[in-house]
Amino acid sequence: MLYTSAIVTRRFLYLIACTVAAWAQHSSVKLSNPFQTPQDRLEGARTYRSQCASCHGADGKGGNGGPDLTRGQFKHAVSEEAMYRVISKGIPGTTMPGFTFNGARGWQLVTFIASLNAAAGAGAGDAKRGAELVASHQCARCHAEGAPDLADAARRMTRAELRLALVDPAAEVAPEYWSWRGTLRDAQVVEGRRLNEDTFSVQVMDKDGRLRTIDKKDLAWATIEPKSPMPPYKGTLGGKDIDDVLAYLESLRGGTQ
Amino acid sequence: MALCGAAVAQPGAEWTTYHGSPASWHHSTLDQITPANAKNLELKWVWQAQSLEKFETTPLVVNGVMYLTEAPNNIVALDPSTGREYWVYQHPLPEVTYPCCGKVNRGVAIADGVLYMGTLDMKLVAVSASTGKKLWETVVGDFRKGYALTHAPLIVNNLVIVGTAGGELGIRGYIAAYDAKTGKEAWRFKTIPEPGEPGNETWGGDSWKHGGASIWLTGSYDPDLKLTYWGIGNPGPDWNPAVRPGDNLYSDCVVALDAATGKMKWYFQFTPHDEWDWDAVQTPVLVDGDWKGKPRKLMLWANRNGFYYVLDRATGEFLHGVPFVKQNWAERLDAKGRPVKAPGRGPSTQGTLTFPGVQGGTNWFAPSYSPVTKHFYLSVWDDYSSRYFAWDQPYEQGKWYVGGGVKSDVSPTRRERFNRRDPASGYGAIRALKWDTGEKVWEYKMTEVSESGLLTTASNVLFSGNREGHFFALNAVDGGLLWRIYLGGQGAASPITYSIGGKQYVTVANGHSLFTFALREEGR
Repeated sequence: MLYTSAIVTRRFLYLIACTVAAWAQHSSVKLSNPFQTPQDRLEGARTYRSQCASCHGADGKGGNGGPDLTRGQFKHAVSEEAMYRVISKGIPGTTMPGFTFNGARGWQLVTFIASLNAAAGAGAGDAKRGAELVASHQCARCHAEGAPDLADAARRMTRAELRLALVDPAAEVAPEYWSWRGTLRDAQVVEGRRLNEDTFSVQVMDKDGRLRTIDKKDLAWATIEPKSPMPPYKGTLGGKDIDDVLAYLESLRGGTQ
Repeated sequence: MALCGAAVAQPGAEWTTYHGSPASWHHSTLDQITPANAKNLELKWVWQAQSLEKFETTPLVVNGVMYLTEAPNNIVALDPSTGREYWVYQHPLPEVTYPCCGKVNRGVAIADGVLYMGTLDMKLVAVSASTGKKLWETVVGDFRKGYALTHAPLIVNNLVIVGTAGGELGIRGYIAAYDAKTGKEAWRFKTIPEPGEPGNETWGGDSWKHGGASIWLTGSYDPDLKLTYWGIGNPGPDWNPAVRPGDNLYSDCVVALDAATGKMKWYFQFTPHDEWDWDAVQTPVLVDGDWKGKPRKLMLWANRNGFYYVLDRATGEFLHGVPFVKQNWAERLDAKGRPVKAPGRGPSTQGTLTFPGVQGGTNWFAPSYSPVTKHFYLSVWDDYSSRYFAWDQPYEQGKWYVGGGVKSDVSPTRRERFNRRDPASGYGAIRALKWDTGEKVWEYKMTEVSESGLLTTASNVLFSGNREGHFFALNAVDGGLLWRIYLGGQGAASPITYSIGGKQYVTVANGHSLFTFALREEGR
């Protein structure tokens, strides 16, 4: 089975991006955090709990010698790179020690601490009104089915990521939510989400929520694109509306943790 | 250029060594199952392991009994026609051992009615093949320092040879030989030379002390040259090469050792000063053939670094090398087979995208050589890359010592239940290569990559499986699919074939079970 050029193009762009990144690191001093997935943040939270919380508090708001980490303002860790350095080297003359984490753990910790800032610093919005908006836009029609669960969305994503997912869902779509479209040899078209794939078959949830296995022998053509079936709410919802929806999602996080 | 017959007989009714024969062809002379009748293969029995570890065993079949290892360190004896067990030997392990990548074991060796197994707590154990009782055990090294034994031993004459895993834990590797009767150590070859020994100068500063260079796959043996060949693992720390300036001998080498003394006759280094974790832990495939009009004793080697090599196995001379998957780390190989590295492909703080990815163009899973087609068969990971990261990391005993990390869309092993990754991030394929040029003859493309080894037979049937859970038979001549069955688990072992009562069987580990197939009986 062949995939269309959308993937090839995307791949090519990715290669260019990586090539540029590789080149940039040889020619520039500015570093950015390579470990920023939700899983990285979870790992960072684990490390935080075992190694940092005793001084900086379980909620990051300080309390046992370490300063509040949720305000987004630091004396030494003025950038992510500086935060990484502070974690690995410590701060001379203070009680902040250096930690011999491997780089991934260090960066994951940076990711987690950055998410504390994002969540704590941008809690604006009316959760009650957000709930009404979610209901009136019938978000649950998809999100109760195959789309990602809203109940723990704010646990998986920072406010910035949630905002992006709402206003521009196509900007960053995990492969498990990519759109799959196949044309069968009998001209029937199947569209949906790819749940699994092997050499001989594809498992799909189609647009009607039906689970189907498509035998590749029956498939004339298939495409998979990194686009989300979710409509963009940029323009549909105003700035305050979006803050309210985000506040509602964050209120769900509190209830499910 | 034509290859003559094997220096060593290939297996028929029995499967007596991990690689099938000392020349390591993973090829059988059995021919009952053919391209014409393979469609009639059916399941005969399933044996279920009582372990959820990755199941990497390659069983042996000797004197009508099948012997396999069940993770972490049990030996199971069973009836190869029914799967019914005779006995289980259970090796007691301490609570904490230090294997890098799962509590795995790849199999046993057998000679004169005695089975030999290396263990995660660094013991070599001899067990009676009839009773399952332990005859002796000997301590090969200190597991608390990150050492482990995971591969099937190799028996050469009266010696049992094993090597030490632990390349990600700051070990210093070695291969050691033990008297098969007593367990007394006969010789030891250090894979990292110590100060004063030739090669130590290829390790800057004290880096030799925790340089890795592990062994985790069984070697080969040439009875005429009396040499045993072993592939050696990556230098450590894997991704921070700055702390180990130099070529880092004998990491990523194949070494030829005098089997009686352990003295090195020659070495060939595939990836000097490795920056990507590309162990030369592949199967040394030994063939005799004509090279440019002259008969030579050769070694065929598809390396994790993405290049296919032909070496002279008497001298170690490099004869030929060519990439077999997409790679961007080397501009070319020079006249002696040394790679000319492309600039800027090593790990970095920001991550460097390099082809192939960390698991390589191929890896430890067995290739096969068929004297019938004269093709070299292997499982490849193509169009596959990783981003390699480097950072400083101090050595701590018993902890990972890798100095970096790796990111890739393709998981090194099947961790996810589902395959939902970007199809453009790489694919797996079984390939047939012309043995002399490395040129592709055919390819059987798969959606996912595979860690399953290969088996070919005299009747031109090739068996393999994959991570998706399929086990299948291909036509070794043209790569056409002859038969397949979905077993559901990850295939990460080599299939074997044997004959009992005139019936040819094929056995493979998949998921946490061992599956055995044979042709459907006439009239059913």
